[in-house]
Amino acid sequence: MKPLHSIFIVDDDPIHQQITEIMLDRLSISNAVTKFSDAQDVLEHIRAQCNNASELPDVILLDLNMPVMDGWEFLEAFSQVRPTLIKQIKVYVLTSSIDEKDKERVSQFTFVEGYLTKPLTNDVILSLGK
Amino acid sequence: MILPTAYAKLNASMNNALLNQVVEALPDSAAVFDKNLQLLALNKAFVENNKKHLGIELKEGDSLHILCKGYPDLAQQSLHNWKRALTGERFNFVLSFGNPPLQYEVRFSPLLDEQQRVTSVLMIIRNIQQETQARESEGFFRSVLENLPVGLHEFTPDGWHRNMNDAQRQILGDAHPAVNNQPYNVLEDPFNRRTGLTELLEEVRIRKAPVKKEMLLKYAEQHEGTVTRIQPLYYEATGFPVMDRNGDIAYLFLILSEITEKKLAVLSLEKSERLLHTIVENLPVGYIQFDHYGFIRRVNQTQRKFFSQTGIEEQPDGIMMHDPFSRLFELDQLFQQVLQKGKMIRMEKKVDIPIGKMSREFFLDLTMFPVEDPVDKDQIVVALVNDITEKKRQEIENNKTQDFLMQTGEIGKIGGWELDIITNRLRWSAQTYKIHELPPYAAMTFEKAMTFYTPESLKRVEHAMAACMERGKAYDIQVTLNTARNNVIQARAIGKPEYKNGRLIRIYGVIQDVTEQFKIRDQLTRNTELMRLFFDTIDMGYAVMDKDGKVNFINRKAQEIVDHGKVIGRNIFEVFPMLVGSTFHARMQQCMNQQAPVSFSNYRPELDKWYEFLLAPMQDGSISIFTRNITDSKKMQRELRKANDQLSSLNKYLVNQNKQLEDFAHITSHNLRAPIANLKALMQIMNETDEEQEKELYRSMFQEVIKNIDETLNDLIEVVQIRKDLNVEREKLVFSERLQKVKDILFVDMETSGIRLTTDFAEAPDIEYPKIYLDSILQNLLTNAIKYRSHDRTPTLHLRSWTVDSGVMLTAEDNGIGIDLERYGAKLFGFRKTFHKNKDAKGIGLFITKSQIEAMGGSIQAESQLGVGTKFIITFSPE
Repeated sequence: MKPLHSIFIVDDDPIHQQITEIMLDRLSISNAVTKFSDAQDVLEHIRAQCNNASELPDVILLDLNMPVMDGWEFLEAFSQVRPTLIKQIKVYVLTSSIDEKDKERVSQFTFVEGYLTKPLTNDVILSLGK
Repeated sequence: MILPTAYAKLNASMNNALLNQVVEALPDSAAVFDKNLQLLALNKAFVENNKKHLGIELKEGDSLHILCKGYPDLAQQSLHNWKRALTGERFNFVLSFGNPPLQYEVRFSPLLDEQQRVTSVLMIIRNIQQETQARESEGFFRSVLENLPVGLHEFTPDGWHRNMNDAQRQILGDAHPAVNNQPYNVLEDPFNRRTGLTELLEEVRIRKAPVKKEMLLKYAEQHEGTVTRIQPLYYEATGFPVMDRNGDIAYLFLILSEITEKKLAVLSLEKSERLLHTIVENLPVGYIQFDHYGFIRRVNQTQRKFFSQTGIEEQPDGIMMHDPFSRLFELDQLFQQVLQKGKMIRMEKKVDIPIGKMSREFFLDLTMFPVEDPVDKDQIVVALVNDITEKKRQEIENNKTQDFLMQTGEIGKIGGWELDIITNRLRWSAQTYKIHELPPYAAMTFEKAMTFYTPESLKRVEHAMAACMERGKAYDIQVTLNTARNNVIQARAIGKPEYKNGRLIRIYGVIQDVTEQFKIRDQLTRNTELMRLFFDTIDMGYAVMDKDGKVNFINRKAQEIVDHGKVIGRNIFEVFPMLVGSTFHARMQQCMNQQAPVSFSNYRPELDKWYEFLLAPMQDGSISIFTRNITDSKKMQRELRKANDQLSSLNKYLVNQNKQLEDFAHITSHNLRAPIANLKALMQIMNETDEEQEKELYRSMFQEVIKNIDETLNDLIEVVQIRKDLNVEREKLVFSERLQKVKDILFVDMETSGIRLTTDFAEAPDIEYPKIYLDSILQNLLTNAIKYRSHDRTPTLHLRSWTVDSGVMLTAEDNGIGIDLERYGAKLFGFRKTFHKNKDAKGIGLFITKSQIEAMGGSIQAESQLGVGTKFIITFSPE
């Protein structure tokens, strides 16, 4: 039995999406990994499926630096949507930024489970959702 | 009173009628009742009383139970007593009822038959109200007497002790025989003979009337630490007789009241009285004390002496109205005033007192004031009489001298003199002596007076005097004197003749020491010189002008600035007609109107010089003008401003640099770390697989990432290059030419998009700018307009340039898809920031454009509306 039902990868970098998917698959941590290039799409999906637990992910891996809607905007919008969700989603920020300012800013969103820096390692992956 | 036993004997043979008669005869309420409490007999008083108090009318044969109903409160007690009486007991008790309570004594007497059996009971009820009250009153009086704070002692007419109260026991002390209830005769006590108490009581016995005396009866011991003081205790003893009906003495009473304190007070009063008397007696001023009727009560020694001196007969105890002294000095009137107003009056009186055949002048300083006697509160009037005759005489003498002084005047160092022509006598005032530094009133002659003048002055004085004497010409001349102490002084000598009957009788005048004034005048001249020197020295033009513009003072510098012949004493507006209505004129008016300093600077184009002016109003209505050539400082100011501008632009540049550093930190963090993180991850997953096919995939991904890094690095290098090339050379560029170059490069894209490019460079056709930057900027603007065009309409781009103060402006306005500035405004010009799902978007163009503009000190802004278009506004800074 895999510990996580579903993981969303939100990142505009296709290479990174692919690498992350491979790593998650290798560790068989999830049944379904879904990749998004645009945070806006994720938000719309979650809003639409807010009462449908099977369509909502267990974990979201969120990049910060993205066109159109960036990670910050997503976090802002997600904090509004979160209370309406039938299921609790764990959000992890996954970014290349090691800027303390970014870290500090993320910590203001108390629901964010963790601030992860790229690249992911196996240990980190195994700790997801715990 | 009939004895109950008598009733008993009568009882057997007595019929009811007889019983009734007997009962009726009793003065108090009475009734006889039998064993059944049935009334056998009752008198009228009994019926009346019950009717009065209980509202019950009883008659023979009625039961006593009826009474119980009338007064239920007493029923129990009554029944008990009646039954008790029927047992044969003889007793009485006090019954009280009602409010206020009425007191009755009820007596029960059983009536017996021959066999000594109780047949009935006689009940007598007596009102004992008065008795009770009397007894209570007696008790009250007794307790009052007992507790009186004065000693009270009762004796038999011949002096034997009978009774006394507590206070008396205290006075007599525990050891006294009377206190110990032993026989004691007050008249025979030897101690009382000494104190005078025996004498007092004997007097009472003889006169049969109260006698009162103060006496020292005993001593008290006061312990203060180790010292024991004996204090005499004074008493007021009052003896009085209580007479019997026959007019003989029934009792002797003695009342002792302690008055030690009062006595001591009186004694100290007497002592202070004596002291006061001594003081008053020895006062150096006359003292007369009157009572409120005007009788003289006291006259002191000084006053008595005065009386004898004036020959007025002293009349103590005489009434003031008849007293010659008082009448002479109108004391009677003053006395009335003092009493009426209750206030002190002080005045000086002059009186001529005849002494023998002569009359002598006396001056008195009279003070009269009311005093309230502290003990009996009577109004007393005291007159203090001070003989000031001598003092007055002195004063008058002084006044006479004063008059002379007043004429000449001490103030201003003016001395007076007069020369009596007839006697040739010269008189000087004290001040004149002082001016000559001579002791006052030293012998002075006209000849001697002339010796004080210096030879030169003497000539003038003699000349003036001669003119005065011969022609009556008054003079006022300046002279120099050598004083007695050999000081040289400057003086002003004034002389005037006086004629009587056409004859010159005297020359009089004043001499004034004006040395000081001379010095001041000297000083003033010197100051003026100094001022001129000062104003000529300072590197500033200074002039004083009156309100019409007349120049009263001008220093050398100002003279130079004016650069015109003689200005002083002339009106500036006449010398320089062009000043009328000038700034200078206006400011001068302003300064005068507001009476406040005005400063301004003025440029004289013909000289190319700047002048600064300060106009200050002066108290006398004229204006001080300070002026200074500030051309140099003006120039310096300009230099300074330029330096300041440079500094601020450098500062701006540094701030900019800082901002850029931050940008770079951000860029490295996101745009360089991201691909490197990818590389690391790829490395990891590649190492974890043996599958060749998989590895192949990873290798291709590697290439992708590396290409990505390469691009990013190139972009960065380009930006860094721009920012580094701060001093890249500017050259004169024509907008239309540069645009043509760009159009050539982007020819294909333009054709594909069908964009319609229009320009308006008429207002600013060219610009001084680095060529590669301008080309790059134009190219980016055009590229953006093509990339983000709307596919709903023909894309357009309009470029326009014009000039403003801060340089050349360039706007690029398209009709593209627009951008949500509220959402992306902050990141619009960011590195690698893209906001569209446009594959061509790299997010580098605007970043570079901005870098290039800012590197040259300019700025770029954007205005946009989604779906309508975007307008970029560029300010190219000059130089």
